[in-house]
Amino acid sequence: MATHNATGLEDEEDDYMNMIIAEPTKPKEKETYTQRRLRKERESEARGRVKSKAEREADEAAAREAALSKSLLDNPNTTKNKGLAMMAKMGFKPGVALGSKDNVGARREPINITMKDDRGGIGLDSEKKRKFREEVEKEGKRVKAEEGDYRERVRREREEARLEGIVGAAMRVAERMTGEREEEETAQKGDFSEKKPQISTKPLKQINILWRGLVQKREEEERDRRMRYDLQQSLSRLPTYDDADEDKDDKRALGKDKIQHTLVEDLEEEDSELDEFNALDPAERLHKLVLYLREEFNYCFYCKYTYPDKDMEGCPGLTEEDHD
Amino acid sequence: MYENQEESYGNGYGSRNGSSTPTGLSKFKRHATTALQAHAAEDGPNNPFNNVPLSKQYFNILRTRRDLPVHKQRQEFLDMFHSTQILVFVGETGSGKTTQIPQFVLFDDLPHFNSKLVACTQPRRVAAMSVAQRVANEMDVKLGEEVGYSIRFEDVTGPKTILKYMTDGMLLREAMHDHNLTRYSCIILDEAHERTLATDLLMGLLKEVAVRRPDLKIVIMSATLDAQKFQRYFMDAPLLAVPGRTHPVEIFYTPEPERDYVEAALRTVLQIHATEPEGDVLLFLTGEEEIEDACRKISLEADEMIREADAGPLKVYPLYGTLPPHQQQKIFEPAPPPARPGGRPGRKVIVSTNIAETSLTIDGIVYVVDPGFSKQKVYNPRIRVESLLVSPISKASAQQRAGRAGRTRPGKCFRLYTEAAFKKELIEQTYPEILKSNLSNTVLELKKLGIDDLVHFDLMDPPAPETLMRALEELNYLACLDDNGDLTALGKMASEFPLDPPLAVMLISSPEFYCSNEILSLTALLSVPQIFVRPASAKKRADEMKALFAHPDGDHLTMLNVYHAFKGAEAQADLKRWCHEHFLSLRALQSADNVRQQLKRIMEKSELELVSTPFEDKDYYTNIRRALVAGFFMQVAKKDPSGKTYKTVKDDQSVLLHPSTVLGVDSEWVVYNEFVLTTKNYVRTVTAVKPEWLLDIAPTYYDLSAFAKGEIKTSLQRTLDKVKRRQAMKGGR
Repeated sequence: MATHNATGLEDEEDDYMNMIIAEPTKPKEKETYTQRRLRKERESEARGRVKSKAEREADEAAAREAALSKSLLDNPNTTKNKGLAMMAKMGFKPGVALGSKDNVGARREPINITMKDDRGGIGLDSEKKRKFREEVEKEGKRVKAEEGDYRERVRREREEARLEGIVGAAMRVAERMTGEREEEETAQKGDFSEKKPQISTKPLKQINILWRGLVQKREEEERDRRMRYDLQQSLSRLPTYDDADEDKDDKRALGKDKIQHTLVEDLEEEDSELDEFNALDPAERLHKLVLYLREEFNYCFYCKYTYPDKDMEGCPGLTEEDHD
Repeated sequence: MYENQEESYGNGYGSRNGSSTPTGLSKFKRHATTALQAHAAEDGPNNPFNNVPLSKQYFNILRTRRDLPVHKQRQEFLDMFHSTQILVFVGETGSGKTTQIPQFVLFDDLPHFNSKLVACTQPRRVAAMSVAQRVANEMDVKLGEEVGYSIRFEDVTGPKTILKYMTDGMLLREAMHDHNLTRYSCIILDEAHERTLATDLLMGLLKEVAVRRPDLKIVIMSATLDAQKFQRYFMDAPLLAVPGRTHPVEIFYTPEPERDYVEAALRTVLQIHATEPEGDVLLFLTGEEEIEDACRKISLEADEMIREADAGPLKVYPLYGTLPPHQQQKIFEPAPPPARPGGRPGRKVIVSTNIAETSLTIDGIVYVVDPGFSKQKVYNPRIRVESLLVSPISKASAQQRAGRAGRTRPGKCFRLYTEAAFKKELIEQTYPEILKSNLSNTVLELKKLGIDDLVHFDLMDPPAPETLMRALEELNYLACLDDNGDLTALGKMASEFPLDPPLAVMLISSPEFYCSNEILSLTALLSVPQIFVRPASAKKRADEMKALFAHPDGDHLTMLNVYHAFKGAEAQADLKRWCHEHFLSLRALQSADNVRQQLKRIMEKSELELVSTPFEDKDYYTNIRRALVAGFFMQVAKKDPSGKTYKTVKDDQSVLLHPSTVLGVDSEWVVYNEFVLTTKNYVRTVTAVKPEWLLDIAPTYYDLSAFAKGEIKTSLQRTLDKVKRRQAMKGGR
């Protein structure tokens, strides 16, 4: 009681600026009968509440893990252990393994128990952990990058996307103009026998690098569309499936005569030239395309006009800004 | 004739005086013989060991024996055997080491001239028996005469025996009474790589005996290439390696870890059946239930493949330890023939636990599917629990499994994990048994072997200090060791029984509770595999049958009821039928009967009285329950106030009564035979007891001052107060 009073006095002398809010002192008066009854009821309810199965299992596992992770030798009660006393008499010192002192690999700890509660194969858990760790790291890096120059990055990304769009347009122009010229040439040669198929049959690598990417992308889209279509038509039949029973008409009916298998292979081939080109800045690619159009067709991409001669009089310059 | 020889060769060095019939070994000089000499002696015409003319069959076997890989190195073996006391011999499966090396030794060590024996230990009883039979045939002698075997509860040897196959446990028992193993001139420890508890103890012991007995020869035989560890342990003993007769095995890994190893295994087996050429499949899974389930699924899928894709017929066999022997034999049946002449070949699939890894050899296996798991038993001293959990195998185990595919021709092994996981996640070697066991029995054995400094005893893999501490503590509570760590009279007696100390102590104390007959039966029942059979197809019926024997106070008493019924007239009239009808294992009960006989003999030797309380006495069952407490007072659990779960005394672990129990949930205190961790914490084989008995029978363990504060202590305190009050009242009267 005396100590309690002492602390009480100190409290009164406390700095009024102290931010710690003192706990209200316990009511001195005895709890009433009703209060006590209610308290007891609450307590017994808490005690008597049957824990759910999951709760029980969690408790069980926690108690087990706790006991398994603690060495008996570290337990203060163990000093009274008669087993340990006997071992001490034989010369045992905690922290040293049993057996010959030359035996370096001797165990100091019992073999650990690990519960396996699923049917995951060996290595699955560590694979999961590795993936999770990688994800976390990636996330961390992303967040860091964002913190810095978010606005700058967004601006740059927008600019790049815009330029890509212009590059795409320039590619289309270049392809169209080249195609028209080739057609004219064939027409002049008097070859009207066949209309050009929609999809170019020219191997990709023979297409000018400047717009090869465009053609490739289109062919990929076409292939995917066709594969989806084939899949819907007949689940078991791949486009490459050759049925000996089908004659030419069947094939035509199934649309197989139009399928160009070479394309698929073509698409899957490595094309380092194209990769290299795509790796360039969009601005650079655009510049090359613009130059090409000017030299081949006297066409200014920005003026949208084919000049009559090489001098291209009236065109303000090579860049977009010049045309502003 | 044998006696004659013994006299004439009394000095043991083959210098005979010509009075008795010459044998093929007459010119032999002990530890200086050659392979050529032995070869000539083997060629007869008379048996070099008993001088009886050799049979035709003998020569037939001799021819095949001389084809075995070890035979080529007989001289090399002898040279090394002569030059050293301890020799490490490595021979892969199929090299013939188990049958041939002991015979090589016989022809050189000539134990009969010295009235000694050669011992060859085996980790398993079955192996000891079957190998002894095989070698007796090879030597053209009757089993039990020159060649015999000795396993727990069965000794088939005689005065003529010169070569004895025995379990490693039996040799250890002999060493308890004969610390220097003086009966033997050479000891061969076979299958040392399996690292059983007894083999590990024997190695530790032999290391000491070798110093005391320079004349004793020791051969350590192992099937794995990790023999350097044995060499190092035995002071750099020389090593002789003999290649096995195995074919290359191609190993395949999965590119990604598997989400469900069982499903992946089934898929792989079916894929093999669909695409691979003829050859049988061995799939390793972890336990009975998983195996039976897998067998069902493979059969179903295979039937469909036969119907729809014209696959060959497929036979699926399960294999696990608790499977009855006649069903185990089925795995040796040949693969089924094609469904029609010229059809695709049939195939057999064996789905096995890791017993097919080493213990059993099945010819014809070409494909092995290895998910990389096995069920392993590990004792943990911290909570004194024996866990039986599915765990990854070791690299050595995985290699052993793969090797099973190359017994008859080149094979394939499909590992259901990535190569990276094999390298990173699997431990090198399987843990030796000594690191995974409760050591209380071992400590008693070591004490009996005359080893007093247990802390520095040079074991190959010494156990964790905590495990030894627990064992010593338990033995002290059981009054088998005094506070100085010396064997007490009770401890000495307990070590005579081939039983775990709690069981032995219970048995020894049982006359005090007037029920030693019953406790003897119960001890036998607890030492054999499960007596109740509960097939997946007839669980309900099996439970009904078990209910016929149920005793409301617990599983121990229920088992006893079964045994008494088993010994009754009705059951004895037709044991097989009776057991089948009542869902009981005849094999387990018969073996319990056998164990009971053996234990009874030891009890008589120890002058323990066999007594019973009359069955009509109201204390008949109470006495038995009290006797249980005398041995198992450290394995007690008390019901939690919340209801369903129990808490183990002192270790404070939350446990459930195993679903197989006959005991209702209303028993406040129970003793349990085992605490196992499977997917949950379970205590198995439980019987209700009273807290008064605990305080009365095991006052040292139930010294309340040593208990942590908690519900159990409070409850025991209340009981103690009650007992005191009652005594005071009695005194007052």
